[in-house]
Amino acid sequence: MSDKYKVLYYVNQFFGQIGGEEKAGMEPVFKNEKIGPAVGFESFLKGNGEVIGTIICGDNYFNEHKNEALSFIMKTVKEVKPDIVVTGPAFNAGRYGMACGVIAKTIVEELDIPAVTGMYIENPGVDTCKDKVIVVSTPDSAAGMRKALPVMAAITDKLMKGEELGLPEEEGYIPQGKRLTVFSDKRGSQRAVEMLIARLKGEGFKTELPMPEFDKVEPAPPIKDLSKATIALVTSGGIVPKGNPDRIQSASAQKWGKYDITALDKLEADYCTIHGGYDPVYANEKPDRIVPLDILRQYEKEGIIGKVSQYFYTTTGTGTSVGNSIKFGKEIGAELKADGVDGVILTST
Amino acid sequence: MKLELRRIYIKDLQFGEKTSVNNGVLTVNKEELIAYLKEDKKVKDVKLDIARPGEKVRIIPVKDVIEPRVKIEGSGNGFPGVSSKMAQLGEGKVNVLFGAAIVTVGDIVGFQEGVIDMWGEGAKWTPFSKTYNLVVDITPVDGLDPHEHETTVRLVGLKAAEFVGEAGRNVEPDEIMTYEMGSIHEETAKYPNLPKVAYVEMLISQGLLHDGYIYGVNSQLILPTLIHPNEELDGAVISGNCVAACDKITTYQHQNNAVILELYAQHGKEINFLGVILTPELTTLEGKFRTCDYTAKLCKMIGADGAIVSEEGYGNPDSDLLMICKRLEKSGIKTVLITDECSGRDGMSQPLADTTPEAVAVVSTGNVSHVVKLPPADKVIGNAEAIATLAGGWDGSLGDDGSLSCELNAVIGSTSEIGYHNCTVKLY
Amino acid sequence: MFFIEGTFEDVLIKIRDYVHQGVELVSHPLGASIRILFSPYRSVILGEKNNKINAYHIEIIESSIISYRNINAGRKIDYKNAHDYALIDVELLKVSLKSFKEINNNHINLFGGDSFETGA
Repeated sequence: MSDKYKVLYYVNQFFGQIGGEEKAGMEPVFKNEKIGPAVGFESFLKGNGEVIGTIICGDNYFNEHKNEALSFIMKTVKEVKPDIVVTGPAFNAGRYGMACGVIAKTIVEELDIPAVTGMYIENPGVDTCKDKVIVVSTPDSAAGMRKALPVMAAITDKLMKGEELGLPEEEGYIPQGKRLTVFSDKRGSQRAVEMLIARLKGEGFKTELPMPEFDKVEPAPPIKDLSKATIALVTSGGIVPKGNPDRIQSASAQKWGKYDITALDKLEADYCTIHGGYDPVYANEKPDRIVPLDILRQYEKEGIIGKVSQYFYTTTGTGTSVGNSIKFGKEIGAELKADGVDGVILTST
Repeated sequence: MKLELRRIYIKDLQFGEKTSVNNGVLTVNKEELIAYLKEDKKVKDVKLDIARPGEKVRIIPVKDVIEPRVKIEGSGNGFPGVSSKMAQLGEGKVNVLFGAAIVTVGDIVGFQEGVIDMWGEGAKWTPFSKTYNLVVDITPVDGLDPHEHETTVRLVGLKAAEFVGEAGRNVEPDEIMTYEMGSIHEETAKYPNLPKVAYVEMLISQGLLHDGYIYGVNSQLILPTLIHPNEELDGAVISGNCVAACDKITTYQHQNNAVILELYAQHGKEINFLGVILTPELTTLEGKFRTCDYTAKLCKMIGADGAIVSEEGYGNPDSDLLMICKRLEKSGIKTVLITDECSGRDGMSQPLADTTPEAVAVVSTGNVSHVVKLPPADKVIGNAEAIATLAGGWDGSLGDDGSLSCELNAVIGSTSEIGYHNCTVKLY
Repeated sequence: MFFIEGTFEDVLIKIRDYVHQGVELVSHPLGASIRILFSPYRSVILGEKNNKINAYHIEIIESSIISYRNINAGRKIDYKNAHDYALIDVELLKVSLKSFKEINNNHINLFGGDSFETGA
């Protein structure tokens, strides 16, 4: 046996060379060979480490059967005993990113084995794991594979040699959010005066303590007369007609749907949730718990509100990127406005 | 105003026959100094000790650090309004025992902290591990109330600095630093194209163990006030602040205010340094509004284009810092803030107690909750029991080998918000 | 005067409840140093109850609670020095009251008395 460290690799059905979207439902399998990006990755380890096997799992399967998928993966990790686990890179693929992130973090937390992955900064998978896993910052599409792999390999190599990682921007990983106290070669007063002079000259400067950024939305003016207002229901709780006719994703949604509720007094058994991020039992028992049509109809009859809008709008919030959320919001908002809706009840889960 | 700070390099400190400086060696007559300090009727006992850089010595709990000096030309030797007669400061010649410091210890209340380690890991975190420290440990007479106790300890420290400083009166300095600045009008005529910069120095002004003094006036009682930088360098501002070990401004740091020195260094080159505005940090919100409005107004009145604002402490002063920033930025005055942060032991928490989007340029001088591991000392000067307080509070802070884990907030000057030390924070 | 049998955090939470009902915050809920955040005692002055809620006061009390929890996570309250903390608390309170009276020309309307305290 060589003294090379052992890497276990994880990829989805596509990078595992099984197939595209039509294979996204496949259950995880373990192959004791290197497949897809694992081949390139290993070549960048410069002979210090080797990939001892690859786990492949469908993106939909993972997100919809998280517990089953994880238990298979954890069992495999325990059996093959790698020194480090590498997942992805997932670039900007949301479902793949969620899988890469959750798997890597679970391995770090439960088995104390280090893990490295790679993602585009806006991938919702980043936030699932970046505090525990080193997430290499990658371009947003698979065209960036050749850029991502050497960086992931270099960081893997450093971790295996027990070397400390430098600053995120130097090493190429996404900051884990740890603010560490270190010594500067200049004392604080000098840094402050230099920063001020740079500002006064209109030159670039870098704050040492960025203020949190809040996305502020100006609230709409209050509804003057609720009894004449049209109220719409919008949810990110994944309530859809049974069968999910528009095939809205259960996580990392790529689209939203709207459904006519003119004829309904409440949502019953022909509606359910496809949301992959919470226990669906109570929502499926009574979908009004997520989309409160029953109460709203009652208010309509009592004259508290004018009327309920013709459609309700729905998507899933879990793992959905900020970019997509903004896009959905704008599209749905435009429709509501065109329909003369005065107010919206937006429910999350 | 023209002030000469004439540095006599001190390379060693010892007790001996005559209080004097010879070839950079500062000798202090122990008995004479003790007798002088005991002239204060409220002092029961004084213990003196020496701590040199590199010695395995820990000093705790430190109240204040003061630089020994003597004024050989110009009015106001010592600390006018506090330990000596009132005088206008800022002009003349001062002989400085550069590299020596008076360090006062003594507990007024039981939970006091403030550690200086002279060697190893701990030494890295405090600027006062590099000075030759004469440690003055004061026991007051019984029956003093806490206010009198605090005043006594404060005055004794200042007097000790004056006494020791006197040894430098007739010694030729190794280096002369000259600080000269005319009126704002004159300086602006000299440097018409340089941006005008004000320095806003905030002072904790909140009551017992939480005060600062300007010519002896408690800063609680003032509106923000404009002061010539030379006055502060000459001893006009002293510390009565015995909490916030890591980020309080000791008297030594007022005498050597790092922001003032840095702005002076750039005066006439990159900037036109207008002066210092001392701003009290009050406890009431109305009081905070008043001082913050007034500070911004002073900056506008003197025509500042830019300002540096330094905080003292953590918690409610964060609100003042950001309110001042907001007002200055809204008036078009470009502002840089200096503050430390409390981002938790793991560095993952929200760093400040308050935030504002206007604070675009901030220098961070360290996370006060950053944990440092200090090995056991050969000798503890002060109160060894205070080490338990220092370490106490959480599990695993005292090691079996006598080492202790403590947060930076207990280490004197570690996260100095006037940027006196070189800690910073990086995002990993 | 309200005396809250509990911790510093309990006092902050009680204050939050009042501030959300429109009671004015007169003094800042936090001290000026980390050490004072370890205190088992804390007095804070509240003012009159208004019909309008003060958004800035809400921001202050909410962020004070976050800071308090952040600093005291995993830390034990320093009961050993409780007496000294009580002494400092009352001294700081005196200064706040004096400053408050000066600002208001001694026309004080403090909510239900004057302050919140906590006892260990």
